[in-house]
Amino acid sequence: MERLTRRLRSIVGDASCLARDEELFVYQCDGLTLEGTRPLAVVLPERTDQVQAIVRACLEAGVPFVPRGAGTGLSGGAHPVPGSVLIECSRMDRILEINVADRVAVVQPGLVNAELSEAVRRHGLFYAPDPSSQQVCTIGGNVAENSGGPHTLKYGTTTNHVLAVELVLPNGEVVRLGSRTGSAEGFDLVGPIVGSEGTLGIVTEATLRLSPIPESVETLLAIFPDVVSACHAVGEVIGGGLVPAALEIVDQRTIRAVEDSVYAAGLPRDAGAILIAELDGARCELPPQVERVREAAERCGASRVQVAADEQERTLFWRARKGAFGAMGRLAPDLYVHDAVVPRAKLPEVLEAVCAIGDRHGLKLSNVFHAGDGNLHPNISFDRRDPDELARVLQAGREILETCVRAGGVITGEHGVGVEKLDYMKLVFDDDDLLPMIHLRAAFDPDRVCNPGKVIPTTRFCVESNPKARGYDRVPL
Amino acid sequence: MSGFDVRAALERELGPDRLSEAVGAPAAFAVQPGDGGALASTLRILGEARARAQVRGRGTHDELGNGPVEVDALLSTRGLCGIEELDTQDGVVRVRAGTSLAELAEAVTPHGWELPLGAPGSASVGGTLASAAIGPRRLGQGPPRDCVLGLDVVLTTGEQTRCGGRVVKNVTGFDLAKLYTGSFGALGVIEAAWLRLSPLPETVAVRVASLAAGSDPMDTAIDAARRPTARCAALLDRSIAERIGISATSDAALLVEFAGSEPAVREDERWLCGRCAAAPVAGDVVDALAGAQRRALPDGGARARVGLLPSACGRAAQALRASGAHLIVHAGVGLVYAEWSEAGESVAAVEQVAAQAHGEARFELLPADLKRGRDVFGVGTDTRARVELMRSLKQRFDPAGVLNPGRCLGRL
Repeated sequence: MERLTRRLRSIVGDASCLARDEELFVYQCDGLTLEGTRPLAVVLPERTDQVQAIVRACLEAGVPFVPRGAGTGLSGGAHPVPGSVLIECSRMDRILEINVADRVAVVQPGLVNAELSEAVRRHGLFYAPDPSSQQVCTIGGNVAENSGGPHTLKYGTTTNHVLAVELVLPNGEVVRLGSRTGSAEGFDLVGPIVGSEGTLGIVTEATLRLSPIPESVETLLAIFPDVVSACHAVGEVIGGGLVPAALEIVDQRTIRAVEDSVYAAGLPRDAGAILIAELDGARCELPPQVERVREAAERCGASRVQVAADEQERTLFWRARKGAFGAMGRLAPDLYVHDAVVPRAKLPEVLEAVCAIGDRHGLKLSNVFHAGDGNLHPNISFDRRDPDELARVLQAGREILETCVRAGGVITGEHGVGVEKLDYMKLVFDDDDLLPMIHLRAAFDPDRVCNPGKVIPTTRFCVESNPKARGYDRVPL
Repeated sequence: MSGFDVRAALERELGPDRLSEAVGAPAAFAVQPGDGGALASTLRILGEARARAQVRGRGTHDELGNGPVEVDALLSTRGLCGIEELDTQDGVVRVRAGTSLAELAEAVTPHGWELPLGAPGSASVGGTLASAAIGPRRLGQGPPRDCVLGLDVVLTTGEQTRCGGRVVKNVTGFDLAKLYTGSFGALGVIEAAWLRLSPLPETVAVRVASLAAGSDPMDTAIDAARRPTARCAALLDRSIAERIGISATSDAALLVEFAGSEPAVREDERWLCGRCAAAPVAGDVVDALAGAQRRALPDGGARARVGLLPSACGRAAQALRASGAHLIVHAGVGLVYAEWSEAGESVAAVEQVAAQAHGEARFELLPADLKRGRDVFGVGTDTRARVELMRSLKQRFDPAGVLNPGRCLGRL
């Protein structure tokens, strides 16, 4: 181990290789804080050749490695595995090229998401994927997790905006995949790399599509007696052929937490739920669309529908949504943010079932979610120091996912499988379904040295096909 | 197992009525499984025998790719037909691979939805996805990968697998649907798909612009493509314009289709008319362009598709025209279709243009003598790294090398 550390220091310098216990403490988990493992070392490269040298040093030492961006992931995708080196890419944070004419940007993986939109705004462009953590999360992490956000309803997730990547393969080779033209020949290899949670290699450069800032934006806030009515309104809007930029629902428990916090937006505390609908496009086309959304909301029982009069009011509406997770801190010391997707038409019944699960386990469960995508985020506020409550939280989590899968949904829409949901993969996929995933993984990383133990649960195939996988192919939760 | 034994084994497994003589393919026989289980049995038998098969939906994209290579079996997915579920509220549909796009469009349109796939109506869903086929509305529809939510794919080792799902946002496991889409059936055979539909536009307007002398037609084409409702913006050489019934008064004509809300479409039309003289034409001109983009050429002709950045299209167009090509340029999405009545200079021209512009090109049609020994994909591009990864994938997904041998990039 000391030999490896010396080698890593020689690659990135002493200050960029952390190996003392107190330095490693903060790297033992990402946004999934239920459990963690300290890595052997953390390295902070600034260039592709350094990443390549780190990977080669790890291979020679027989040590697995785990890539990490800002560590904001919520499923443990960047959790170190026992005896691993953590390759933290946050210092690779440069914008390498902005091509305004072709609406393309080339960036390093450590660039913070929001900084890209900021950098291109003066050209009338923006980078569309906007996860809630966009002020701190990195493009590399977004690529690894195929991150979404409120506006993916219209603009798609990260995968729709990545044209090409430079990747350090798990064998240390550097390859460029995809094409900045968007028409690469051959298999679409960028597609499966996006969302692969850093298991197929380490992205050291991403070529991204930029979008034009829409001419006009209208934001509505509708107040409903309950969350189910708000869900019906979402169904009416989508079924009516509109594609809003965002359709977000915040439930009563969250509204109250927000109103009690510094994020207070002046919402009525007795509202059962609010729906935030955002429409964007040409200025001339939005007024009739606003009316269609208003009518749909009122038909479904909205007691009040307000259209933001200006940017200030629009920001206020979004405050309730964007401040929700921060406000949850008032409810309990810990927060378990779930992530599942169901067919939109099933939202009302699934929401009712999810709330019933929370009640049955005596938990503080609230919902803030991307309703337009059918992407639920049931949030459970709890205290991990209470083992009984923790057990109920985990049990409720399983029941929520089972409910979503029974409704035709899946176990994660944007947070990823990581280590958190390994055991739940079998709710959606059987061994046969997992086989091509194992093939894909093996084509890129036959020795399972790159972020092992993530995404794919252990199956008969893994152990049969690769005995080296034994020993570090699972991280216990 | 000999070819005869393979046929006999398939007859025993599927019944003799599922086998026939192969028509229009260099195969010893044709097999048409009627359901997913039969498809799995077929592939398992072919895989165990290390037999080689050409997979065909409705044959619309047969000419695309390397080859043809002689195979033992023509595996048709036409027996896998029908729409299994249409969710008219969510705008998603589950459809079996052999279903035609026309049949699917007919089913979804009355409910206010349309299929964002640009292949001709006669094409099968499976073939369209396997070849990632696009049409002239690629600008508005996006690439086929964007509308694929989930796939059922059968491997040559006999497993019936699923990836993705029916929901519009999903990161449950690797995104294999994108890997399969455009892989020319080299990894597995698509049995069924969950597709995302698009709302039918409120209004569609098609105009043809005569481009004023002195203005840069490519700039106008790119600007038109960037209007909010532009669904197709194609710059056509006069010969191609005339072929689809547009009488061009200059060397090139700009064909633009706007689709969306009524006020936004009208605003974009006004913008176009302010930029150049643009007359309304019937919407089926865009469908005619789809036909022109994939028409059969006289013997000795060639057609290439070159992918470029929009800003590189002008220079590339000049170089391609200099080699005798007639062009359809979708500058907004950086795609140039070039056709030559005589293939002579085509290969050198495409190689040079793609290499200079860091683009990616393919030959969609090429005379047999020029095609032999040449990779029609990745022309002018260094594809070695990706081909190595593709080979590694091919070996794992299709270890016996059954599916569409030699057809895709790298002649895998």
